[in-house]
Amino acid sequence: MAFNLSSIVDIAILFALVLLFAPSLGSYLARVYTNRPVFGDRLWNPVEGFLYRLFGIDPRHSMRFTEYALALLLLGAALVVWIYAMMTLQSYLPWNPGALSGFSWDLAFHTAASFATNTDFTHFTSESQLSVGGAILGLQIALFLSPAMGLAVIAAFVRGFTSRDGTLGNFYVDITRSVTRVLLPIAFVGAIVLVLLDLPQTFVSFVTAHGIGGASQTIYLGPVASWTSIELLGSNGGGWYAANAANALANPSGLSSLFETALMLLIPVSVPFMFGRMVRRPSESYPYIATILIVLFVALGLFIYFQDAGSTLVNSLPGISPAVNGYPVGQQAQYTLTESSAFNIVSIYANVGAQSAALGSLTSGAQMVLFFGMFTQSTPGGVGTGFGGLLIFAMVGVFLAGLMVGRTPEYLGKKVGTGQMKWSAAVLISHPAIILVPTLIAVVLGFASSAVGPLSSSLAANAHQFTILLYEFTSEAANNGSSMGPINDGTLFFNLIGGAIMLIGRFFPMLAMLAIGSLFAQQDYIPESTGTLKTTSLTFTLYLALLVVIVSGLLFLPVLALGPLAQGGW
Amino acid sequence: MSEADITALTAAQVPTGHGRVQRRTAWSRIFADSFRYFDPRREIRQPVMFVVWVFFVFLAVVTVYPRIFPDVVATYDPVYYFALTVILFLTLWFAHLSEAIAEARGRAQAESLREIRSGLTARKIGADGASTMVPAESLRIGDQVLVESNETLPLDGDVVEGAALIDESMMTGESAAQVRESGGDRTSVLGGTKVVQGRILVRITANPGHSFLDRLIGLVEGASRERTPNELALGVLLASLTLALLIVIMTFSDFAGLTGIVTINIATMLALFVALMPTTIGALLPAIGISGINRVAKANVIAKSGVAVEAAGDLDVLILDKTGTITVGSRLATQFYASPGVSEPELLTAALLSSSLDTTPEGRSIVRLAGRRGGNAPRLEPGTYTVMPFTAERRMSGISLKDGTEIYKGSIDSMEKYGAVMPPELRDKAREAAREGMTPLVIAQNHRVLGLVALKDVIKPGIRDRIHELKTMGIRTIMCTGDNRITAAAIARESGVDEFIAEAKPEIKLTIIEREKALGHLVAMSGDGSNDAPALAKADVGLAMNSGTSAAKEAGNMVDLDNDPTKLIEVVSIGKQLLITRGALTTFTITNDVAKYFAVLPAIFLTASGVAIAGIAPLNILGLANPALAVLSTLFFNAIVIPMLIPLALFGVRFRPMSAIDLLRRNLVIYGGGGLVSAFVGIKLIYLLFAWASGTPFVMHLAAIVAHLLPLGGL
Repeated sequence: MAFNLSSIVDIAILFALVLLFAPSLGSYLARVYTNRPVFGDRLWNPVEGFLYRLFGIDPRHSMRFTEYALALLLLGAALVVWIYAMMTLQSYLPWNPGALSGFSWDLAFHTAASFATNTDFTHFTSESQLSVGGAILGLQIALFLSPAMGLAVIAAFVRGFTSRDGTLGNFYVDITRSVTRVLLPIAFVGAIVLVLLDLPQTFVSFVTAHGIGGASQTIYLGPVASWTSIELLGSNGGGWYAANAANALANPSGLSSLFETALMLLIPVSVPFMFGRMVRRPSESYPYIATILIVLFVALGLFIYFQDAGSTLVNSLPGISPAVNGYPVGQQAQYTLTESSAFNIVSIYANVGAQSAALGSLTSGAQMVLFFGMFTQSTPGGVGTGFGGLLIFAMVGVFLAGLMVGRTPEYLGKKVGTGQMKWSAAVLISHPAIILVPTLIAVVLGFASSAVGPLSSSLAANAHQFTILLYEFTSEAANNGSSMGPINDGTLFFNLIGGAIMLIGRFFPMLAMLAIGSLFAQQDYIPESTGTLKTTSLTFTLYLALLVVIVSGLLFLPVLALGPLAQGGW
Repeated sequence: MSEADITALTAAQVPTGHGRVQRRTAWSRIFADSFRYFDPRREIRQPVMFVVWVFFVFLAVVTVYPRIFPDVVATYDPVYYFALTVILFLTLWFAHLSEAIAEARGRAQAESLREIRSGLTARKIGADGASTMVPAESLRIGDQVLVESNETLPLDGDVVEGAALIDESMMTGESAAQVRESGGDRTSVLGGTKVVQGRILVRITANPGHSFLDRLIGLVEGASRERTPNELALGVLLASLTLALLIVIMTFSDFAGLTGIVTINIATMLALFVALMPTTIGALLPAIGISGINRVAKANVIAKSGVAVEAAGDLDVLILDKTGTITVGSRLATQFYASPGVSEPELLTAALLSSSLDTTPEGRSIVRLAGRRGGNAPRLEPGTYTVMPFTAERRMSGISLKDGTEIYKGSIDSMEKYGAVMPPELRDKAREAAREGMTPLVIAQNHRVLGLVALKDVIKPGIRDRIHELKTMGIRTIMCTGDNRITAAAIARESGVDEFIAEAKPEIKLTIIEREKALGHLVAMSGDGSNDAPALAKADVGLAMNSGTSAAKEAGNMVDLDNDPTKLIEVVSIGKQLLITRGALTTFTITNDVAKYFAVLPAIFLTASGVAIAGIAPLNILGLANPALAVLSTLFFNAIVIPMLIPLALFGVRFRPMSAIDLLRRNLVIYGGGGLVSAFVGIKLIYLLFAWASGTPFVMHLAAIVAHLLPLGGL
């Protein structure tokens, strides 16, 4: 029932559309980050000039690593403080007809860390705890600034390959241009399309519907279209509704599902093209695009396969009514299996974290596929940082491949030395560390059982609980933001440790990217010879894809075995 | 000693030593070392193996005193713990063995070198000119010593007075004695070599302990081996992988127990961790590094550091001297052209007569070629002829017979000056030959031009292939020659070099090196003269000839004892091989891990209550039913792979010049694919072997003894 022609056509159209736009968007991004004239200069240049003068920023000043990194951390810290303040002071903000109170300090910290790190993991239920004012004044700004930070960091990282004076560019200019030239215009267009696709756009927070039977229902509204547009475009993933894209108002139809999927993929797939343009070797982007597509397609295929097999099994059980028959387990009925699968795979693999399914109810195999996307974090990963992560994998790949061809490893004319290896290896270690160590703490200190329930005699049930817990921390570490629920994670422990995981998971790899970029930026250019490894070749591409899969697999297969696999039924 | 004397001596082939003594590998020492290396102070230098060491000690303690860990008691199985401890011991021991073997091979080289100079004394010449006998160790840079026939040179130095024939066979293996004399480019002498004949005053240029001999000894013994940047970067990667796996496996085994899914005992956890750690490459890294240096030493090249050897693998520009490197050094006759109306036999006879007493390589080659073409000439009886030797003014040479016949050969200019008239056809031939880089010589009898013989700068056999190989590896070759453009272009074309510099002065090399380095290239050159020294110092790899001046040898970062400039090419291959071996074994180690997971993970999940957990069972693609044996065979595979790869570490992976991407594909398939397949097959085979062995009476008795000696609570 799953693989019918129309759903394959759906997917084909989706990827064709994204791949059609990505190269041009990539060139456009390259123009933006090499400070060349772009569309919209007439409108924005005066505004930006005013802002730079106001804050005393010299836009022509190119920063070294420490300055750039400090500026990044400063903005991150400012964002955390701002959101924290807005959330705790929510009751004083306008547009609060429900008279919702402020967040507790730990929940406000978690929310601040979550939105400032592009994670958008919510430990609250937005309908009942977050006012329109809190959302717009506190969080909406983060939906723009956090992906802007990702874009700034990747731009600086990539500049390291072309720079020779050790500088990486101006952080404030990168942030400003990310917002004004990239995120705002695309999000604006996206919002309009979403309105046309029947998403609500209003400042009315809710209406009450009265049914014929006399029962009444509160229907929550708000600027859903504009919110959803930047939420997905900037790989944020914090939905207007708690049910995220599974809520019919955020994602009304199969068509909207496809469009939203495309919106999530757009920038992450364009950034490799930007990289190719910026290093003036467009073909260098192909291995990355290919790796991303290979992993995405395989993931999607496996996801659909597991879901289909699982659903067939469930639907064949006695007592299942025919009405339910035909719909895959855990997925929404208004989309086809393929539409739903594409949305969820792309959302997790692009670290958006919006979800249009109940992830905890998916088959074990499908859950395993979702985990894997957050383990690689880079196929394609979130806006900017995802590709940065892929470049870090490539550093390790280039290093080993360089050894294997008997040359001191080099990439794009720059040597890959001990410094680059240290930072790359540190990122590769940090990811399992900030997932596994907190999970262990939660289990050992007993917070796990209060969140997901006590152990039972059923191994499969215990494995399922472990899977939910593992998913929580994996999602936070990868700055994904999706949740497998049901998990009682709005507690002091989960708020604090979760906030810390998200901050480390976001800013540590960013610092590593800047540091590696800076190491490259301090080097002179080495010309190529026939002895230089061609990183655009098919061999290198396949090697890179295998490396990403094997390294992630080696580090996470044991916990996958304990979690999703031990649940059985895959 | 005059120049003529030296020539005579060389020609007489003075018998010298019998070359370097090749010793047998000392296995007793290797075994002793392999146990000595269990010393933690030494072990800690290799972080990966140190972790194995810590776990080995820990597991040994737990095996003997299980009660100190209350957690262990519940799952303690003396035979299982004992077997794992033994395998961990083997893992470490195999690693030590590989290092000890590599070192022993170096030491064999070093010891025969060291013997050369034990108890050397020298006749030191004081400021007043008086000579005193002093031990070599007391000499310092700048001291002057007098060395006579049959004496050994105490230290490296420069000949400041006199000339001598020197036997360097103990250092170089080259049996013919070498001429060393004051002035010029052949002044440097090596400590430990022996004066065969002559008497020289030598100024010492290296303090005791710092001579080339000492450096060679230090390097081959590994004492002065510093880690190269690539080795450090790889070390970082391996240490990080170990740390990451440590986190992964430790938390995993805790999760397994805490979630009640399965209890993993501490021995199994350690086994899983050690099996996954990059022990294979970690164990072999020292051996790879040491044997890289040894391979260089074996090629009779003294590398001053391991860094220089690795840098050689990265070279992309090679500056080659034409003479001695690309060509054999002298021009050889390749073609005769007879004048119109002159028969070939007539020309050949004249050519033979004119050159039969010419001892220059050119003259001999004319005789050889004429002979091959079937030419013959009457025997010259002593007293019937006068040799007219080549002089700078006349620029021609020949013979004058008693009957008044004069036969000369020489350049066109000089022959015209002599009065010979060139037929126009022959003039065209001459021009054509010159265009092809040949030197035409005119042969004339009594002013009558009989024809031409074309001399050609002959390229060394095989050099064309070597240069082609270099090109395949991505290395650009630049030839330097003092010849004119036409000759240089012809040689360049024939040898296949990418670029040439004609009419080059010695300083030009420095200019080229600076130019190429400014463009970011890594440049190598070889040289011997004092005026090569600045360029040798500037080059990324400067290969100095042993016969060269001390200045040149001091400036370069490698010295070739065989004085063969084409060694550069060999050094490049060794450098590349070194890197490739490390990369290939790392890849092998990583793909091994994939198979190890599939062997151990399902096995671990079996242990819960003896039944498979449904979700995990499909992973058991190897079909290993007994969990303890599965863990043991995986860990044993991990250990046994080390000695099996020792030859690869010692001799390096086979390196054939090919493009980088072909090389990557090849090595990925062989070492990546090989790692995957060999681990699956190897673990399964070992498992089957263990399963069979565990049923044999011998092993069962052994197990009973172990269980008896290590009962829980027995100690």
